[in-house]
Amino acid sequence: MFLTRSEYDRGVNTFSPEGRLFQVEYAIEAIKLGSTTVGVRTPEGVVLGVEKRVQSPLLESSSIEKIMEIDRHLGCAMSGLTADARTMIDHARVTAQNHAFTYDEQIKVESVTQAVCDLALRFGESVHDEDAMMSRPFGVALLIAGIDELGPQLFHTDPSGTFVRYDAKAIGSGSEAAQSELQDKWHKQMTLQEAQILVLRVLKQVMEEKLDHHNVQLAQVTPTGGFEILDEVRLKEIVDIM
Amino acid sequence: MPDGSFAHPQQRQFNPYTDNGGTILAIAGADFTVIAGDTRQSEGYSIQTRYAPKVFRLTDRAVLAVNGFAADGNMFVKKVKQRLEWYRHAHAKDMPLRAIARLIQTMLYAQRFFPYYVYNILGGIEEDGSGAVYSFDPVGSYEREACRAAGAAQSLVQPFLDNQIYFKNQKAAPGTSHPTHLPLSDVLSIVIDSFTSATERHIEVGDGLEIYVVVARGRSPQGIEGIRGVQELSAQPNGDRTFILRRELKKD
Amino acid sequence: MNSFLTRYSSTAPEADIRKAKELYGEDEDFSEVMWGSTGGFGNLASGVPMFKLPSVQDPASFLRMHTDDHADPSCRIKIKHGTTTLAFRFQGGVIVAVDSRATAGSYVASGTVKKVIEINPYLLGTMAGGAADCQYWETYLGIQCRLHELRNRERISVAAASKYLSNLVYSYKGMGLSMGTMICGWDKTGPAIFYVDSDGTRLKGDLFSVGSGSTFAYGVLDQGYRWDLTDEEAQELGRRSIYAAGHRDAFSGNTVNLYHVKQDGWKFIGNYDVSELHYNGPGDVPGAPGGGYGYDIRVAGRTSANPPEGEGQA
Repeated sequence: MFLTRSEYDRGVNTFSPEGRLFQVEYAIEAIKLGSTTVGVRTPEGVVLGVEKRVQSPLLESSSIEKIMEIDRHLGCAMSGLTADARTMIDHARVTAQNHAFTYDEQIKVESVTQAVCDLALRFGESVHDEDAMMSRPFGVALLIAGIDELGPQLFHTDPSGTFVRYDAKAIGSGSEAAQSELQDKWHKQMTLQEAQILVLRVLKQVMEEKLDHHNVQLAQVTPTGGFEILDEVRLKEIVDIM
Repeated sequence: MPDGSFAHPQQRQFNPYTDNGGTILAIAGADFTVIAGDTRQSEGYSIQTRYAPKVFRLTDRAVLAVNGFAADGNMFVKKVKQRLEWYRHAHAKDMPLRAIARLIQTMLYAQRFFPYYVYNILGGIEEDGSGAVYSFDPVGSYEREACRAAGAAQSLVQPFLDNQIYFKNQKAAPGTSHPTHLPLSDVLSIVIDSFTSATERHIEVGDGLEIYVVVARGRSPQGIEGIRGVQELSAQPNGDRTFILRRELKKD
Repeated sequence: MNSFLTRYSSTAPEADIRKAKELYGEDEDFSEVMWGSTGGFGNLASGVPMFKLPSVQDPASFLRMHTDDHADPSCRIKIKHGTTTLAFRFQGGVIVAVDSRATAGSYVASGTVKKVIEINPYLLGTMAGGAADCQYWETYLGIQCRLHELRNRERISVAAASKYLSNLVYSYKGMGLSMGTMICGWDKTGPAIFYVDSDGTRLKGDLFSVGSGSTFAYGVLDQGYRWDLTDEEAQELGRRSIYAAGHRDAFSGNTVNLYHVKQDGWKFIGNYDVSELHYNGPGDVPGAPGGGYGYDIRVAGRTSANPPEGEGQA
């Protein structure tokens, strides 16, 4: 694709003659530089896992935050330019709360994903005198995990504003190897613990460092517990089982 | 005065409201809800029409009764229906009853500084299959109840319902207790009696009576199909079912 | 000038813009956010919802003319009003007790109103004044507290929550909102109560009562209040105070709702019928002395049909 680079790769609002929006495609490329992030859906709940790249021994690994809560029944893991994700997740949180306020019910997983994707498309020049928008596409992909009346669900969103539902999905630098591993190992009747172990195994395969409870983070959404990030003690237990 | 000025001070005020009379009521059973309203619309002592519906079907499991200023009421129902449709497109499902109740609160409150002159009663079936009634004031305060009457004859009908539904000031016979929920036939009798009585004693009530009955999915409609003049409105008989029952009221 | 008054007044230049927008049908009901993916909410929607106003010189007096039933009992729109509420802080947390009567003019519109609004598991708000104002804004406060929690990974303090509400209603000052509320909860500083009203008052304190029956409630409350009340004594004091207001104030009554806030959040203690309390008391609950709160004390177990010895014989 880089052969056809031309002046069309600069404007976010100009298609190339071949019908492509290069800036959006480059944004999707940016995610492949990000750390590996994995999500697995089971009938018991959804598990999210991320690799934390601890680049320096002086770095406080607990301050790396790549999995965030959207609401009690919704969680989100990211890969790419994580700073961009803050804006998107705040939007998701506000949307979820506004929904709860207006309808006295929890928002559906797909609805909150759709709302995030609406935001993803708000780049370019503003049409009316709308509030300031992003001047470029977001450089981040999200795995949105949640539970609603349709059961546990996992969605993947990318900078083009597209979202797709997955049973198991990997994004980030190791995503290709990770995805084929998921494809091999995922099955319909997984338990939550099997999913936790699968996520860690997949991360372990693609990580350069040796996996331990400091350089990965695991979270889950279950019908009873809602969204929770597993603390180091619980994480260590799973690492040990693996 | 010829020059267009006034000899005396003139007072003008913006008066966009009128009261169109009529009464509505709703009663929740264990697995059904009855929502009813008369069809007379009046202004002052004149009857404008003998058939102006005040009860509207919103979804398969929700019915809204609106009383007060008819123009505001009709506009309000129209806007609620619009929001329900948008919700259906956005979330691929019908809005649950308690969500409709909260939505109505926010819609009424959005007019806090220019209120709709309407008293709403929302009835239907909750997600858990129980019958429910929500009542609202004009600016959106709301509460789930077992029964509620509103409108011109509220003060005639509500005390009757308190006695017959909540068994207020009644003592159960020794060794027995009051039922928590009444069967449908009893509720229908109470509703019809409420309106015939209100018609006798209130000039703004009468002409016709429309009774909507919503029955929870999979529950017995308790013989309602056999009642004279009952019409079923539900599209599929295996979901929640809605029936309408029309009765004449005195027209003097 | 107050920014919200500017936004809503019909004389300011903004009003002309607003009118123009209405003419072109660009009002809230037709904006694109209403039918977006979240079905009417969410698409970059700002926090405070937009309110419709009548196109008159003075919207506030328009509202007063049609809804203020104290000044004009024949006004058309009767907004429900709430009545006796109380909250106090003591060694064991916070007691919140309220009645359940709502009146529209002199009609008892409801006897089953929930005047304690459960903002979240750690915060309670009480309702006095306009029922809709309290219900709506305290629910709104609830979602703002939740957002605070998500953004800061820490529960909001009672002080901050009450300040949020106070600032919010202050921005509508003069527009006709009516609320007198106590925001009660437990945070890092321990149990806390803040009184917030629609005039913009915000007070921190140990003991408050709000509403038309508050004077009667204060009478009982002040008499029995001590910091070191036991949990049971404190619950009984709250119950007894609301009973007193329900008994003497015509705008209060029906039932008492009692809540107790402790370190691990609030707990609903019970619902008590005021008449039942008068004759028979709250029943077998901890802290209650047994027997009715009013009847026996007044007649000493006797009625005119059954007079005390020595009376009614002469």
